[in-house]
Amino acid sequence: MVAEGALAAGCRFFAGYPITPASEIYEVMMRDLVAQGGLALSAPDEISSLCYCVGASLRGLKAMTATSGPGWALMAETVQYALMTETPVVIALVQRLGPSTGGATQGAQGDIFLAEFATSGGYTIPVFAPSNAAECYELAQQAFNWSERLRSPVVLLSDKEVGMTTEVVEEAALARLSPVERTSVAAEARLAAYDIERPEEVPAFAPVGGGVKVTVTGSAHDRRGRLRKVSPEVVEMLLHLQRKIEAHATEMALVRTDLDPDASCLLLSYGITARAAREAAGLLRKEGFPISFLQIQTLFPVPTEALHSASAGIHTVFVAEENLGGQYRTVLAPWLADKRVVGINKIGSMISPGDIVRAIVGARV
Amino acid sequence: MGTATYLASDAKLPYCRGCGHALVVRQLSHALERLALPPGSVALTTDIGCVGLADSLFPYLHTVHTTHGRSTAMATGMALADAVLPAPGLKPIVMIGDGGAMIGLLHLVHAAQLNVDVTVLVHNNFLFGMTGGQHSAFTPLNWITATTPQGNWIPPLDLLALLRTAHAGFLARQFATDSYLDAVIADAIAFPGFSLVEILEICTGYGTRNKATGNALRGVASRQGYSIGRMEAEQERPTFGALYRHEMESRPPKKPAPGIPKLTAKGKLASPLHIVIAGTAGERVQSSAALLCRVALSVGLYSTQKNDNPVTQGSGFSLSEICLSPQPIGYTGMESVDVGIVVSQDGWDELRANGTLAKFTPKTLLLLDAELEISSLTGRLLRQPFRREATPKRAALAAVAFWLGLEPVVPGAAWDAVVASLPVERREDVSTALRVGKDLATHGS
Repeated sequence: MVAEGALAAGCRFFAGYPITPASEIYEVMMRDLVAQGGLALSAPDEISSLCYCVGASLRGLKAMTATSGPGWALMAETVQYALMTETPVVIALVQRLGPSTGGATQGAQGDIFLAEFATSGGYTIPVFAPSNAAECYELAQQAFNWSERLRSPVVLLSDKEVGMTTEVVEEAALARLSPVERTSVAAEARLAAYDIERPEEVPAFAPVGGGVKVTVTGSAHDRRGRLRKVSPEVVEMLLHLQRKIEAHATEMALVRTDLDPDASCLLLSYGITARAAREAAGLLRKEGFPISFLQIQTLFPVPTEALHSASAGIHTVFVAEENLGGQYRTVLAPWLADKRVVGINKIGSMISPGDIVRAIVGARV
Repeated sequence: MGTATYLASDAKLPYCRGCGHALVVRQLSHALERLALPPGSVALTTDIGCVGLADSLFPYLHTVHTTHGRSTAMATGMALADAVLPAPGLKPIVMIGDGGAMIGLLHLVHAAQLNVDVTVLVHNNFLFGMTGGQHSAFTPLNWITATTPQGNWIPPLDLLALLRTAHAGFLARQFATDSYLDAVIADAIAFPGFSLVEILEICTGYGTRNKATGNALRGVASRQGYSIGRMEAEQERPTFGALYRHEMESRPPKKPAPGIPKLTAKGKLASPLHIVIAGTAGERVQSSAALLCRVALSVGLYSTQKNDNPVTQGSGFSLSEICLSPQPIGYTGMESVDVGIVVSQDGWDELRANGTLAKFTPKTLLLLDAELEISSLTGRLLRQPFRREATPKRAALAAVAFWLGLEPVVPGAAWDAVVASLPVERREDVSTALRVGKDLATHGS
């Protein structure tokens, strides 16, 4: 469904390398993209996969690759390049158990830090986390639309259990978004520059090979894209990379809420674990335990407004995720400083509704 | 964005006095003049190193300055995308050093294999100049560099020989001082597929300590057995763009996936049911499970299916976990198993190893093949000779049919409709398995 969502969003270029549990996306794109007037290609490694996508995007095509943790590790260099050069590209990262090659067929939610903090300097890479096949379809479109609109790499972060489970999807209920196209530089322009009046603006795009001269560099650069040593103008351009994301944070925030006005506890989760958490909230309510539930789909930028409203009047926040130490819980901590925050964590297999219920009951709130 | 000159007329070349890079930059400009390429059709893609400074010298070309070694891959991406566009015509030219060729070697190999329209100029000065004269994969034997103070003892790569094995169509090796270098570069750019010119130079900052200036450079090349000039190519082969267009035109239209019949009959299920089917790889365990899910879907049930098998795919166990439910399914795991179907020893052993046996309860219905050797277990046990009666490849489906004979969660009509929707060549096999299972349920073995 990630592949189907990408096709619906207008993806025209895909380069991939086999890796469980992301190979299905690769195979579907190889099968279907040519028929859509695009190109899907086997790359010789994951570094090449993403470089090909970035090159294709610079030429003007919407591009995507799909990988898992070990492949993502190899892509870190080119993700930063895409961020620095403001090149739209979508990376579907289907998590599996780590570290290293870990467990190819075991799910995990252990790549939150790796996905978000892959860049030097702490820039925000938008990350969307689907929890089922229908959300894969919807969020793949969101990932493309935001990538194009912001001229930024965007990560679609699922996991083995979302990516390799066959499930029934109600076709009529699938979200179909209008594809967003990157804003183009006016045809009469002489050169494409990062010509923005305010730092949060997204500069218009011109393809390499079109009639408008393009200058691209992964090094620190001025408004014309020319490599420069650090100057006030260069710093302004760097700040812009972050400001353009932050300025759209509210608009990008996607959550699913199921709040209970009587609750003093909030159960928060994302991705595959959100499914167990939603069931757990239902079980607790049946037992007369009021609890609010929040599923976060836009992991980054952190949907702070949704977090604030869901946690208003809440005493304890439970964050359920399939990793050690609570990676996303750590990220959320500054916004939950006045709450008791309890992690529900596990590795090696999915967190079950029973695990969550036991943890919440055991926490004696 | 037209202009008469490609290299800015007032360009101050940022290279050390005597550096070959300056010669190549001028010769590249001459080559572009020879070809009279519109500047907007050229993407000058530069790598890390002194060679990477070249992009700022060509104010009218598109320039893409990349990360180390990746210039070839980024240019390949541009060329690949160009082949898809209605009016292709982009000429990516990569300027890379020997260091970039080393770290990005696989990109060169793959670009040659693909035969994309990319031209690579490898500025081989035998070492890393910008970072202080360190050894590269191209450093000649016995050369003194910052990192081989006693002399290099690792034999250098012959890039052209290597790329020839990757079926590169245009390969040449020249000296930066060759007066006709522009003609060679022009031929390389004009070549419709992948082309590479390795240009031998001396780094005046760090290479000169090896006394390889002037004619001595020819000696360095000859001692390494490097041929100079254009290498004879194998038979001409189609470019990536030509192959892509052929693929577009000749690919048969996509076959629609077999539809799932929608029946008015409904599945009889009040609450979710967790089923595990385990057997041996290659014995259609997972496809039988998928068929069950299709049948369930046809009668309005929701399902999830998760498969597992060893990484080798074709040996050892194979299993599927299925959840059937009257409502949309949240958690896709199983906290307990309702029905366990095990048709081979491999499957049984895996259920024990992966902890599934611990999820069996006294209510679990267990359908096991009669041949299995089992010790203690929890659940309601029924043993049947599925393998013997149905054949090992049909055992899983026969066992599913046996179970549904006892507990008709889905109506029999649903199976008939789903079997009818299958490709002709699968129908008989599936029908046979279903019949055996049903017979066993009705009459026993």
